[in-house]
Amino acid sequence: MTDVVKTRAATAALLIALVLAVASAQKSASKIPRMADGKPDLTGVWITGALQLLIGEDEARKIQQADAAAARTLPPPEPAPYNAEGERQRQYFLSRRGIDDPMARCFISGVPRITTRPLPFQIIQMKDQVLILYEAHHAFRIIPTDGRKHPDDLEPSFLGDSVGHWEGDTLVVDVIGFNTKTWLAGVGTIHSEKLHVVERYTRDSVDTVRYDVTMEDPEFFTKPWHEHEIFRLRPHERLREYECIENNEDLLRFEKLLQTDPTLRK
Amino acid sequence: MKQLLAAAACAVVLLTVRVAAHHSFAAEYDANQPVTVSGTVTKIDWTNPHIHFYIDVKDVSGTLTAWKFEGYPPNMLVRQGWKRDVTLKPGDVVTVYGWKAREDQALGAAREITFADGHKMTAGPPAGTGGR
Repeated sequence: MTDVVKTRAATAALLIALVLAVASAQKSASKIPRMADGKPDLTGVWITGALQLLIGEDEARKIQQADAAAARTLPPPEPAPYNAEGERQRQYFLSRRGIDDPMARCFISGVPRITTRPLPFQIIQMKDQVLILYEAHHAFRIIPTDGRKHPDDLEPSFLGDSVGHWEGDTLVVDVIGFNTKTWLAGVGTIHSEKLHVVERYTRDSVDTVRYDVTMEDPEFFTKPWHEHEIFRLRPHERLREYECIENNEDLLRFEKLLQTDPTLRK
Repeated sequence: MKQLLAAAACAVVLLTVRVAAHHSFAAEYDANQPVTVSGTVTKIDWTNPHIHFYIDVKDVSGTLTAWKFEGYPPNMLVRQGWKRDVTLKPGDVVTVYGWKAREDQALGAAREITFADGHKMTAGPPAGTGGR
């Protein structure tokens, strides 16, 4: 085969692959369930985050393999864009190996961490509001999608206040009104009351929702911080009860460590 | 290249810290102290945010030590095939692989349990989850 023929064959193969991929994407998008008003229906029980912790390594590996087969990828994780003071505080909490983590103290995780906890959550979509029920901490969010604005009498809270609207096939949720008793994504990922989170939920296939989050914090961040996840539909899953405070021995052990471990006595 | 490596390192840190079930592994346990012990199960606390189970371990001199292990919460275990009062019961002879606690001498984070018939069950997260 000459080089010209080889090049043409390669180009043809590439075009065919492209056409098939586009067709597949269109087919996938057209098959997603929709509400009577035509909006994508996000209703269902979903899991995301560290799947291996929830469903085990073997099941998680199957999902990873399916992702690879479907060429489903996420942008690489971004480092937290802390300014000098934010980074100083984050390093302090890292130096204490995470014993100050609000999650370890059984506080409700905020947004977006509540979503990425390795426990399922259930979305119930209605005409003018979306409810999210989280297995973690019995937490729930009511997200109006009827055009209303955030209330003007917000008290700082763990989950903040959410209002949603649709941009095409994407549910966009604006969240403000946070307290400072949660971390965003892991050890030391602090934030201020000025935290502003925008979540984008896009049902990109029958089995998945693409979740894109932008976090802004003028007090601690130098620029917006982005996080991306894929939700997996679990049709046969149900939410169970998770009462974190039932037997949280970790707190007592942390107190003991603070008294006995020289690296923690700061 | 240095910037690239630094970015990669940050990404790894971020990935690592996010894989947390309830608390940072390193807060209480030492990934540099893996432990494997065999003994008889005496008690199971099927509670949140962790289950705990106790096993009596006899050393070569015949001295008995009551080990206590922490594992995943019930909701994670049942989704991985565990059944309360069935999978792990008092009287079972098991081998537990995990990591020792930093402070308590006979406390550990369980990773895997091997039962008398040879089958294995995951009991808890890998070392290093939830931060350094």
